[in-house]
Amino acid sequence: MKVIVLQENLARGLSIVSRAVSPRSTLPVLSNILIASDEGRLRLSATNLELGITCWIPARIEQEGSTTVPSRTLSDLINTLPADQVQLILDTQTQSLHVQGGTSNNDIKCIDAQEFPPLPVPDMDGAVQVNVADFKEMIQQVTFAASTDEARPVLMGVLVTVEKDQITMAAADGFRLAVRKATLSNAMPSPISAIIPARALNELARVAGDGEESIYMVMPKGRGQVLFRVKDVEVVSQLIDGTFPDYHQIIPRNYKSRTLVSTNAMLKACKQAEIFAREGSNVARLDIKPAQSDMQPSEVEISATSEETGRNETIVEATVDGGGMLIAFNVKFLREALEAVKTPNVAMETSGPNAPGVIRPVGNDDYIQVIMPMHLG
Amino acid sequence: MNWNLIGHAWAVDLLRRHVANGEARHAYLFSGPPGLGRRTLAVHLAQALNCTNPPAPGEFCGQCRDCRQIAAMQHPDMAVVQAENEGGTLKVDQVRAVQHSLSLKPYQSKYRVALFLRFQEANDNAANALLKTLEEAPAHAILLLTADTPESLLPTIISRCEILRLRPLRVEEVESMLTDKGVDPERARLLAHISGGRPGYANRLLEDSSLLETRAERLNDLQALLQSTRVKKFSYADKLSKDKDGMRQAITFWLSYWRDVLLKASHASVTITNVDYSAEIESLASRLTLPAVRRTVSDLELALDRMDRNVNPRLLAEVLLMDWPK
Repeated sequence: MKVIVLQENLARGLSIVSRAVSPRSTLPVLSNILIASDEGRLRLSATNLELGITCWIPARIEQEGSTTVPSRTLSDLINTLPADQVQLILDTQTQSLHVQGGTSNNDIKCIDAQEFPPLPVPDMDGAVQVNVADFKEMIQQVTFAASTDEARPVLMGVLVTVEKDQITMAAADGFRLAVRKATLSNAMPSPISAIIPARALNELARVAGDGEESIYMVMPKGRGQVLFRVKDVEVVSQLIDGTFPDYHQIIPRNYKSRTLVSTNAMLKACKQAEIFAREGSNVARLDIKPAQSDMQPSEVEISATSEETGRNETIVEATVDGGGMLIAFNVKFLREALEAVKTPNVAMETSGPNAPGVIRPVGNDDYIQVIMPMHLG
Repeated sequence: MNWNLIGHAWAVDLLRRHVANGEARHAYLFSGPPGLGRRTLAVHLAQALNCTNPPAPGEFCGQCRDCRQIAAMQHPDMAVVQAENEGGTLKVDQVRAVQHSLSLKPYQSKYRVALFLRFQEANDNAANALLKTLEEAPAHAILLLTADTPESLLPTIISRCEILRLRPLRVEEVESMLTDKGVDPERARLLAHISGGRPGYANRLLEDSSLLETRAERLNDLQALLQSTRVKKFSYADKLSKDKDGMRQAITFWLSYWRDVLLKASHASVTITNVDYSAEIESLASRLTLPAVRRTVSDLELALDRMDRNVNPRLLAEVLLMDWPK
């Protein structure tokens, strides 16, 4: 193999794929990055068998070939080379990669590309196509609600379902649920349902970049994998095996009290309450007060108390529809829920101190969150 | 074809039928003394499960990419879990890491295989952490455990596995395996006897000549120690206890020697293991009473057990040597 690439392209490509490298694996080849000539471009791939990232960078291929290079060594080296052309020459006999940039000459010991686990070569026909910005927003609005508890692997993933022209993402950790819907530009012939690890989606959002491109999503038949392609990057993830709980049953159908607040004001109040609540068990009390008469305003009082730190109380103006209510939430969950809401106003629906609360952005029916209440104490 | 294995034909036969009929259990436990081929059998089962090009149902080709990766224990869908060294502890974090990988669908094959070696070394936390996975393994997961005896595991683990108790082979089988390899008959006979019907151990003896030397040294020490003074025994015990692995090994050699003495003393017709020391063993057996020999054997077994329980090795060695019959 003989390839000439620009240092900045190679450095960018390595920084994208290196997130999937697993440095401490029983398979030594997994701490390496696969570099291979691929139809006039250079392909970089890394995988930890759960998440795989491939990136194509422009290159001048003088001789075809492939090998796997230790990730840390190559990344550290390329980052120190001058912003100029870098020449990569592989000696296939010794599996040693000669890297030349500026006046620096290096030989890196590599592992044969044959040992690298094969990444799927997808058929992009029938791919689900979503705008990058929309897809990133969906991911950001859902993944934070996924569990980090290894004991229930299913909840560490995000349930992605596609039916006709509706795509839905749902994540839950047993205490909260976030569901985000979106409409696709063209309807899919057959429905899709899969549990994708939240980590893979977060990595996808990170590498997808900004812009007007589309993300293409396919699930090759019988491989238990999902593949996303954006521009010149591909992210492959193993699917989580199992049955996602039926979350439709958790979403309350009606409410006794509906409170409209400004998202920002409520978020600020939650942040303040969290300063005090985090010392204890993260409990914040919401006292929802409807207007006493036509002349008085309705409001929500958010308060948190801690034995050691002290206490906090913030009043947020609100429009309360229905009766008053005293309810407690985990303030960290409440803050994260509000941070994910993009509209200026948010509606909170409650039915009682022991019933789950629902958070909806005002003027957008595509996003819904459910949070379990805590003991008032 | 017997999966290229020496012996254990019944086990291979059973497993082959399971694989061929698609009724592989979610968990198997292979038990038997070390060096018997427990791991080899488990690896071959993994190959049979995941071979992409099986020559016949329940067989594996050994040539395809998956077969070669599994044989090298480098397969993306196979996780190998074991304590860091023999006699070490298999920890709960290792079990958790495997559970995470088992929750994902297989990367390239039909099954994800988790291979837990010497599972008797798992501490209670690790064993308990595995229970849930053992009970409700995902459909694509197969768990393979190896252990010295099923009884050394938690009863809750055993009841969740299909147990295959592997037994030592006949000495002649191991002998013919060795002669087939080109070992000269005299040496093959000796190694087969010393291995006690464990082909894996026989191979180790063959490849690592220092093992035989250590054995000879330890057995000569044993004979010398029987006649030596208390002072000598104490200084030997001190030296021995410096290296825990060496001490464990020495006790194992001595145990097999005393087992032979026991066999001779009880006039059993079973062939002895240490055939190269048969004269010494005979004379010792004729000199000692059966209860005395039996006590020594159980003392040695107890000593091995106590070593795993972190007893002060020097005290242990001293007591052991002092209690030996004159």
